[in-house]
Amino acid sequence: MKKIFQLFVSVFVFVSVFAFVSCDKIEEDNYIVYAGAAGKWYDGSGVADKSQRAIIEKYTGVRCVNCPTADEAIGVAVGQYGDKLIAVAIHDSSNFTKPIGDTPRLSTPDGETMSQFFGVRDAGQYPAALVNRASTSTGWDLFTPTEGINSHVDNILSNNATVAVAVDSAVINNNSVDITVNIEFLQPVSDELSLTLMLIEDSLVVTQRLHDGSDNENYVHNHVLRDVITDVWGADIDCTGAAGEKRVALFQYKPESSEWNLRRCHIVAFVSVKNSKQILNVADCHVR
Amino acid sequence: MKKLILSIAIMLICGTVMAQNAKLPENISLKTLDGKTVTSAVLQNDGKPFVISFWATWCKPCNVELNTIRELYEEWQEETGIKIVAVSIDDSRSASKVKPHVDGNGWEYEVYLDQNRDLARAMNVGADVPYTFIINGEGEIVWMHKGYQPGGEDELIEQYRKILKGE
Amino acid sequence: MNKRISLLGVALMLCGIIPSAAQGILGGHVTGNIQFDGQISHRDTIIGADDVPKKLLSNIRTDILYTNGDFSAGLRYEGYLGPMLGFRPDYEGQGIANYFVSYRTQNFAVTAGHFYEQFGNGMTLRAYEDRYLGIDNALRGINIMYRPFNGVILKGVIGQQRYFWETTGLVRGIDGEVNVNSLVESWKDAKTQLTLGASFVSKYEDNDEIISSGIDGYKLNLPQNVGATAVRMDLSSGGFGLQAEYAHKGQDPNDLNDYIYREGDVLWMSASYSKKGMSANIQAKRVDNMGFRSHRTEKYKEMLFINYTPAISKQHTYAFLSMYPYATQSTGEMGLQGDFMYKFKKETLLGGKYGTDVHINTSLITGLDTTRIGGRGTNGYTSDFFSTGDLYYGDLSVEIAKKLSSKLKLAATYGYVVFNPIIEGHEGDLHHNNVVVADLTWKINKKNSIRFEAEWMGSDSKYDATVDDKRCGDWIMGLVEYNLTSAWFVSLSDQYAYNDGIGNYYNLSVGYTKGATRLQLGYGKQREGIICIGGVCRNVPASNGLTFSLTTSF
Repeated sequence: MKKIFQLFVSVFVFVSVFAFVSCDKIEEDNYIVYAGAAGKWYDGSGVADKSQRAIIEKYTGVRCVNCPTADEAIGVAVGQYGDKLIAVAIHDSSNFTKPIGDTPRLSTPDGETMSQFFGVRDAGQYPAALVNRASTSTGWDLFTPTEGINSHVDNILSNNATVAVAVDSAVINNNSVDITVNIEFLQPVSDELSLTLMLIEDSLVVTQRLHDGSDNENYVHNHVLRDVITDVWGADIDCTGAAGEKRVALFQYKPESSEWNLRRCHIVAFVSVKNSKQILNVADCHVR
Repeated sequence: MKKLILSIAIMLICGTVMAQNAKLPENISLKTLDGKTVTSAVLQNDGKPFVISFWATWCKPCNVELNTIRELYEEWQEETGIKIVAVSIDDSRSASKVKPHVDGNGWEYEVYLDQNRDLARAMNVGADVPYTFIINGEGEIVWMHKGYQPGGEDELIEQYRKILKGE
Repeated sequence: MNKRISLLGVALMLCGIIPSAAQGILGGHVTGNIQFDGQISHRDTIIGADDVPKKLLSNIRTDILYTNGDFSAGLRYEGYLGPMLGFRPDYEGQGIANYFVSYRTQNFAVTAGHFYEQFGNGMTLRAYEDRYLGIDNALRGINIMYRPFNGVILKGVIGQQRYFWETTGLVRGIDGEVNVNSLVESWKDAKTQLTLGASFVSKYEDNDEIISSGIDGYKLNLPQNVGATAVRMDLSSGGFGLQAEYAHKGQDPNDLNDYIYREGDVLWMSASYSKKGMSANIQAKRVDNMGFRSHRTEKYKEMLFINYTPAISKQHTYAFLSMYPYATQSTGEMGLQGDFMYKFKKETLLGGKYGTDVHINTSLITGLDTTRIGGRGTNGYTSDFFSTGDLYYGDLSVEIAKKLSSKLKLAATYGYVVFNPIIEGHEGDLHHNNVVVADLTWKINKKNSIRFEAEWMGSDSKYDATVDDKRCGDWIMGLVEYNLTSAWFVSLSDQYAYNDGIGNYYNLSVGYTKGATRLQLGYGKQREGIICIGGVCRNVPASNGLTFSLTTSF
């Protein structure tokens, strides 16, 4: 009997020790975590700059040898259109985005989701771009952004804006960002609308394969998508869509990785039609 | 009101169904005043009846009772060989004061601590002290009394004498 | 009708059929106890008593214990058919609230089901019950005690806590205690005895609930396992005694500390010297963020505590001295207490013919000296270990008890209490009270005795309807109690605010005790207030009417 007791107790102590060693300790930087950007909408004070802007989303990769040419073309277009054109570089999870050597991978899960949705992954042709997620009768208006950027952008900018967007941000506590988005309806909109917020980072030096097959270790990547702050397809906008309606929403965001340099980041905000994904208007701001 | 009547009826049924002499529980842990752990098997009086009194330092009637008996204890012991075991139910707020309290009051009782009220629970001492038991030589609970009012000490010694005589 | 049948059925099962059958077939003993409390209360606008829509409120409980050698089992029925005033309404209902089976030998014990347990002074774990406060944080699970050899005790518990009619949370704990003397044969009966102990308790709680960090869109990243560790000692040598315990708790953002991540600790020490007729005891304590509960969001302040940090002030018994009870502020406090008892011997100058007992007690409790870092989602504050914050509570009492003749006994008490209302959660001036009590017992003859009690309290506080603290002002109280043998008593008392206060609380009580059965009836007004037992407090609303209580055990 005694032996049974001793055995029993030994097992008990053994199990206990293991069970009790686990005691959670949370580092100070992680006391507060992001619970999902569920910004609430309130009546706003309107948007000063009511111009129509365009957004070019470029699907790219560090092993895609034609991509540097596209980067160059987009750079030229951005210089030409100024703040009327906003560029985003999306690295999905295709083989083209595999890092060369010991460099960080720029892929994001959100990027992969979008790439699959818009058929970039299926087509397998990089670089590929969409301007304002426009579509044609045959599907998404994907094109190779080494040329023809201007015609796509002009197409968008020739419209009168239906909704104006403005975004502003402020860094708090050195580790999170307050984002304010104002929208103003210039024309009535009956569709359900979504607001998407993206975090993009400039001046990332990551090895890129060039057209001649060589690798440039000092290649500078700009407007790289780091994270879609909202849900990848955006957050619902609480509005009626009547002309003249002004709405504002506040979001707080804590970057998921401390390796992202907020000082080199932008926030891109765009309003899109929930069902068609078509982007009505877009704005961006530096993270300050 | 019906529920009330029913409840009282249940109590009466319960009370009558089970009147008998239970044994003093044996394997309950208690602490001595110098911090050792013993079991309730140490509660005895060399085969003679003895008294267990549950008390607490903060309980006024308990202190009145034990102070009253303090004056009579020597006399009682000489006459009957009685032994009083005072089991404190003080929790950690006052448990460390039990020994100073016992000494300061000059009590000669055997004192144990029952901080977790294990013994009190096993002996159906409810929430209130004092609660006094007489345990006979066979370790059976033969008498119990709840509370203390002046004169309670007389009843206690009378009961003890009866039990000693085997009545 | 169904309810009544089921009630009757349960009752018969409980105390009729099962125990009788068990006893008849298996032998052993069935014991138990019953407590019934009832209350009828009417509106009284002055004292703030409300009408009770149910008219009759009652709490009933019955414990049934079956013991057969080393084996025991128990059941408890509880019924709150309209919980008594002051009990949380969540108790409403009836059923089997507690059950267990237990096997105990001298060196081994195991209990499955509900159990009560305490490690050391309870600073890491104390599962206990206080039925007058409506607190029962019994654990339901398994409790094991093992004594591998003499002087060493190991305990392990795992279970969920009782919460009204549910069990919830998950608590696991181990405890070890060694009586050092028992380890060495020649030290066993030494005058100096040393006992050391240590415990570890951990709670697990899911982290899926979203608790706002105070910033929209953010939540707190909460620890799912929170542990508390304690070490303790108990040294005694003749009349000297020294006890200490230190406990530390990991990050535990919760409702009590407003979700800060600061770790908690408590240090408690007690030193005493005593010899026959004289004793001195000093205690010191420092508590910092030590509220340890099995649900971080629990709304009721007294519920779901896993640990217990005792208050360091004396638990007074006279009405006016205990009018401002002190409860440990588990968020943080420092306290000191001194207790001194002396018995002047018979036939001395101060002792007189029968001797004189003097009992002096004083305590002082303050907050911590803290420097704020931030609110929820931060480390909260820093605090200097040795410096004190605001005064929370202080008291001094001097009690002299003297037998005047073979028939007359007098106890005279002077008390001083200073109280900061902040500990009850509202800002305000300190209350300073002086209390004088005379307590005279006249034993007329063997069967009859009368006790008189007179109390006076002078206070610098004034009743103010906006704060509505009905304890304010100057009070007098008188009480007469007549005892007929140890069976009957009748008592009549009145508390009256004669200056700067409101209220007149009279009470008439009659009681009858026979053996383990006690019946008590009371009529009168009961003050709204905080009742504290063992450092845990509960607010009881005012009542005006009839109360009755019946307790018995068998």
